Amino acid sequence: MIRGLLTLLTLSSVVFFPWQGTVILAIAASFVEPLVPLVAGIFADTLYYTPQAQTYALPIFSLYGAACAAIAFVVRSQVMTSIMKK
Amino acid sequence: MKRTFLAKRNLLLSSAGISWGFFALSGVMFVLLVRLFAPNIFWFILAPVFHGADTLAAQTHIVFSSFSDAAALTLQNEQLMNENAVLSNENQALIAKTNTLSALFSSPAIGSNKTSGILAGVVAHPPESPYDTLVLAAGTNAGIILGMEAFGMGGVPLGVISSVFDDFSYVTLFSAPNMVTHGWVGHANVPLAIVGSGAGVMSASLSRSANIMVGDMVFAPGPGALPIGSITRIDNDPTAPEVLLRVTPMVNLFSITWVVVRDTGIRLPNAFLIATSTL
Repeated sequence: MIRGLLTLLTLSSVVFFPWQGTVILAIAASFVEPLVPLVAGIFADTLYYTPQAQTYALPIFSLYGAACAAIAFVVRSQVMTSIMKK
Repeated sequence: MKRTFLAKRNLLLSSAGISWGFFALSGVMFVLLVRLFAPNIFWFILAPVFHGADTLAAQTHIVFSSFSDAAALTLQNEQLMNENAVLSNENQALIAKTNTLSALFSSPAIGSNKTSGILAGVVAHPPESPYDTLVLAAGTNAGIILGMEAFGMGGVPLGVISSVFDDFSYVTLFSAPNMVTHGWVGHANVPLAIVGSGAGVMSASLSRSANIMVGDMVFAPGPGALPIGSITRIDNDPTAPEVLLRVTPMVNLFSITWVVVRDTGIRLPNAFLIATSTL
C-alpha cells in the first residue's frame, strides 16, 4: 500500500509541487519502488520539456530519473542477494 | 533430500503481480504518446488539473497568511487600497488624454477593449516547471506564432514563444539556463549579455569599472527600453577584472497568471531561421 501511495504522490507532485519536492519524493520512493524516479522524470519532461527552446539539448529529468532508477536497482539487487545468502 | 524452492525474484514483477512502478511507467508512456501525437488534446485534459493546483496553492497561502499579524495586514490593505485609488485616477486621466490626442490626430481611438497583444492565461509556471517555461492557454488559433515575446504586468518582457500548438504554447523565459538576452543596465545604459541561471534568476558579467550598483535596472530591447529586472546582488571577486551581476525579474514568475503575447520583431527572424530548414 505504501508503495502505491508513494508512487501516486510522486507523480502528483510533478503537477502540484515545486520540482525540488518531486526530486526528494522520487528519491524516497526509489527505496521501495526503483522505477519511480524514471517515471517521474519522464512525466516531468512530458509536461515541461520543449526541444525547440534550445536551452537543453536533452530531456535531463528523464536521464537523471533513469540514472537514479539504475542506482536503486543495483542497490536493491545487492541487498536482496545478501539477504538470500544468509 | 528435501529441495528448497525459492521463487524467482524479478525487479519489475513482484510476487503480487505487476509492481506499482511498472504500472506507473506504462501509464506515463501512454501519456507521453498522447503528448507527442495529440499535444492539443493533451493540454486540454491537463489544463484543469493545473488550474486546480494553482487554486490549491492560493487557498493554502490564504490559510497560512491568516496566522500572521492581523493589524499589519489591515494597515497594508488600507495602504494598497489608497495606492489603487490613486492609480485608477491616473489611469482614467491617461485614457482621457489618449482619446483626446487620438481625436486630434485623426487616428482610431484606443478603446479599453482593444489590446496591443494577445492576452493568454498561464497554465503552468515555475517552480513546478523545472525548465523555466510557461505553458499558455493560447496558440495558433489565437494568433500566436513562434518567436513572439511574452510580457507580464506593466509590460515587463518575460520570454519568447518557443513552441506553439493549436490552443496552447510554450514560453521559454529569459531566466531559462543558457538563454542569452542582450540588453543594457544602469543610468549610463551599459550594454551587457544577460544569461539565464534557472529558477527565475538571470546573471551577467560586467567590467568592474562600469560602477553598477545594487538596485540598478536592467533593460531589454523592445518597443523602447523595457525593464526586464533589477540588480539584487553583485558578486565581487578581487582577483577577477569583472563582477557578476545577479538579476531578479520585475515580475514574480512563481505566481504569474496571465501574460500578453506580441510580436516585437526582434526574435522573429531567428525563429524563422530555426523553423525553416531551407534557410
